[in-house]
Amino acid sequence: MDTLSNLAMGFGVALSPFTLMLSVIGCFLGTIIGALPGLGPSNGVAILIPLAFTLGLDATSALVLLTSVYYGAMYGGRISSILLNIPGDEPALMTTLDGYPMAKQGRAADALVLSGVASFIGGLLATLGLIIMAPLLASVAYLFGPAEYFGLYLLAFCTLGGMSSNNQAKAALAALIGLAIATIGLDNTSSMPRFTFGNMHLMDGVDFLVAIVGLFAIAEVFFFIETHGRDSAIGVKLGKITVPWRDIWKSSGTMLRSSVIGFFAGVLPGAGASLGSFLAYMVEKSISKDKASFGKGNPRGVAAPEAGNNAAAGGALVPMLTLGIPGSGTTAVLLALLMTLNIQPGPLLFSEKPQVVWGLIASLLIANVVLLVMNVPMVRIFVKILMVPPRILLPGITMISFLGIYSLSGGYFDLVLLIAFGVLGYVLRKLDVPTVPVIMGILLGGHMEDALRRGMVISDGDWTYLFSSPIAIGFWVAAIGGFIAPMFLRTVLKKPQRNLIDVED
Amino acid sequence: MTSNLLKALAASAALTLCAASGAFATECIAPSGAGGGWDFTCRQIGKILYDIKAVDTPVQVTNMAGAGGGVAYAYVVNERNTDADLIVAASSATTSRLAQNAYGGSTADQVRFVGAIGADPGVIVVPKDSPYKTLKDLVEAIKANPASVTFAGGSAAGGYDHLKVLQVLKAAGYTDIRKVKYIGVTDGAAALTQTIGGHVQAMTGDMSETVGFIKSGDIRVLATLTEDRVPGFEQIPTAREQGYDVVAVNWRGLYVPKGISDEQFQTWATKLKQVAESDEWKAEMASSGLAPFTKVGDDFQGWVENVVAETAALSKEIGVIK
Amino acid sequence: MKNSDRIFGLVVILLALAYIASALQIESSFLSDPVGPRLFPLAIGGLSILAALSLVLRPDAGPDWPDLRTFARLGVALAVMVAYAYALMPYGFLIPTALAAGLLSYQIAPRPLAAALTGICLSAGLFILFKYALGLGLFALPRAWMG
Repeated sequence: MDTLSNLAMGFGVALSPFTLMLSVIGCFLGTIIGALPGLGPSNGVAILIPLAFTLGLDATSALVLLTSVYYGAMYGGRISSILLNIPGDEPALMTTLDGYPMAKQGRAADALVLSGVASFIGGLLATLGLIIMAPLLASVAYLFGPAEYFGLYLLAFCTLGGMSSNNQAKAALAALIGLAIATIGLDNTSSMPRFTFGNMHLMDGVDFLVAIVGLFAIAEVFFFIETHGRDSAIGVKLGKITVPWRDIWKSSGTMLRSSVIGFFAGVLPGAGASLGSFLAYMVEKSISKDKASFGKGNPRGVAAPEAGNNAAAGGALVPMLTLGIPGSGTTAVLLALLMTLNIQPGPLLFSEKPQVVWGLIASLLIANVVLLVMNVPMVRIFVKILMVPPRILLPGITMISFLGIYSLSGGYFDLVLLIAFGVLGYVLRKLDVPTVPVIMGILLGGHMEDALRRGMVISDGDWTYLFSSPIAIGFWVAAIGGFIAPMFLRTVLKKPQRNLIDVED
Repeated sequence: MTSNLLKALAASAALTLCAASGAFATECIAPSGAGGGWDFTCRQIGKILYDIKAVDTPVQVTNMAGAGGGVAYAYVVNERNTDADLIVAASSATTSRLAQNAYGGSTADQVRFVGAIGADPGVIVVPKDSPYKTLKDLVEAIKANPASVTFAGGSAAGGYDHLKVLQVLKAAGYTDIRKVKYIGVTDGAAALTQTIGGHVQAMTGDMSETVGFIKSGDIRVLATLTEDRVPGFEQIPTAREQGYDVVAVNWRGLYVPKGISDEQFQTWATKLKQVAESDEWKAEMASSGLAPFTKVGDDFQGWVENVVAETAALSKEIGVIK
Repeated sequence: MKNSDRIFGLVVILLALAYIASALQIESSFLSDPVGPRLFPLAIGGLSILAALSLVLRPDAGPDWPDLRTFARLGVALAVMVAYAYALMPYGFLIPTALAAGLLSYQIAPRPLAAALTGICLSAGLFILFKYALGLGLFALPRAWMG
């Protein structure tokens, strides 16, 4: 009852014709920014903070505008993933796997509508989770020390084996390339430079955005020039645009499961939306009866990561609000926003400033509904992107990618690195090496090493520390029992079949 | 052929746009990505400079992330050395990295530090149920057995938060400071979570990160590393009054290129002082948990040189630099 | 036809050896750090060699590599991008962008006038979008011209 009256108060604060208008503007801008390669939610929110102040918005209106941009960008990332095989930002990475094959089959509109609905479900469930359990979940972060984080990242890497259906060695190699790239830069624990070759630009390591945009967007341009667009979704004849009720109904279970996984991944500081969408996808694939169809345009492979990453975006608000920990780059910007509004997130925020918290929750719900309503009709406009002649579209994508990366560091170095990743992405794709594990390696490799090293500092080098809590042991059991052991069993059991497939190829 | 045509067309289009973009606007380089601390400094100071009419056109913010500020530093030194319309956001992280030679050979005397207009006091924190009641308890425990306490902080090992602890222990006469255990996590709030969760025994960080947890009673602040007790938190003793003479604050401020004239340098110092005295900045400081700390002009330049020398000496001792 | 994977595997092995050699040069600090900065890179290097060996021994069927002419066109696209990366800072936004976008467009569909128009329109449009709508710190023209 208390929750309901609080929520009513939140809506009283956040819902008015004016804020609704702001929400629509914010959602629209966010969607566009999210869809541009290299620009993500953090750019959007950071750019709009000064704007909100110039317009003289009060705290609530500013909050509505910026949460709309935040969620809008989360929705928007999927558009370029599906249509162009270019993730707008890192949480949209997994959506390329099945979204782009769907677009190539002429089902771009279906994929967009389905992912929009999945995003809505993920966002909605996560907001509900935030409402019901936030104060409770705050203490979950306390339970996670280095040993537990190491177990979690280990689990994430073990699931990578299921990434490529053809050749495990290639998936492993891709992840290792990513891990090797993650070791570049100043080592966090010893403060010593590694693999920087005296180049100052490498001190901070390689920004994963440079890798994503290079491996996907730039590589796509090379690929297009080579094939004259034969193997691309651009110019594919589109089916009639209808709401794919059947797909939505069939993947409703997927959306629910993925929302739960994504939400909990978001609640853990440091894991964030990319881990949420990744785990959601891998779990869905591993429990599916029809594993082979994943990666070839399975609607569930579109629903899972989108529900997962939007739920994670909601989940990330739990540590942000209750502990002041920005779980991701985006929540970091939202945190900065709250602070400019003279709100210090922390353990007392829920009791001291309920109107802020519930106003924020109400604006999340508003943004989510606005986005759903806006996104389904807007699919008609988005798919028109595929009708733009490639001689305009591809140079456009290239230039936007360059500018997105240029906005990070304002120098040529990252741009040259971007091109190098483009060449790497082209070669890897030619050799049928999956590129998603490379990104996962870069995103999570540093975290995994840091967790191990920190744990060993705390325990003075005692390795049993890694198994010192039930949570940590749980992750080890899940990793080995759920993913490593089946991999070996599969090779033993399916040996004859594998040869058969080789012959077919 | 085509390219000539292109050039001509682009140039004429550009000329019309040029008038609108304002060629001589003040530029503030934030050596971090959008949303980082330095980005925030640039956007806030830039906005106030324009609001109080210290500059004629809105300040243009450029993000130049890389090497913890080193990329921007090298760029300013090498390419913009005489640009009087350029300001760059800086903080304690800038000086401690300069002292540790983390900017690829650049040194602190290659730019001019204009001033600081606010500071975040350093703190040493333990969980509420910790056996360490005072800073002395903690220091003595480490002296007796350095393996018994691990600190968590928001900077990498050898970074600013790590050095704070080492300064305190040195002031206590402890010489084996390389044995002190420290883990660097992503930020102060994450360090606090590790501390409250019992994974480490103490946290070293900035005051602003701890305010919510002080009020909720989850933590005990053993000391602030300031000259006097911090306004609003008078119940917390300073390290100095407990017998450890250490002052470490994370200041927020600006530097400008070395090659500008003394007159231009003084102009920036005056403008920055105007920002510090504006109501807008005072409200800003209150909301982000900063304590007043205004040092501008030559006064600040001297203070920075001193801090850099001290940091360099300490870093040599722990082996972060040779 | 399986040579592509074999060559790739061998290249990875060579790179991994170089990576390991470089990892052995990393200095340890004197801080309390039981694992040290070398273990992770060495493990990554070792595992990479194992994965690459398995690729050399059990390669998949190779892809169809493009002919020389296509390779030349890819080379031109690559050169345009690299030149653009270096030109963006000193020569401002508008001219390099128009040139690079125009040339890329020409690589995709060899129609000079359309390509030139594409370049100019993209350059102007993106400048307005990024500079004014997204607030990116861009300079329109070469810094030398701006004084």
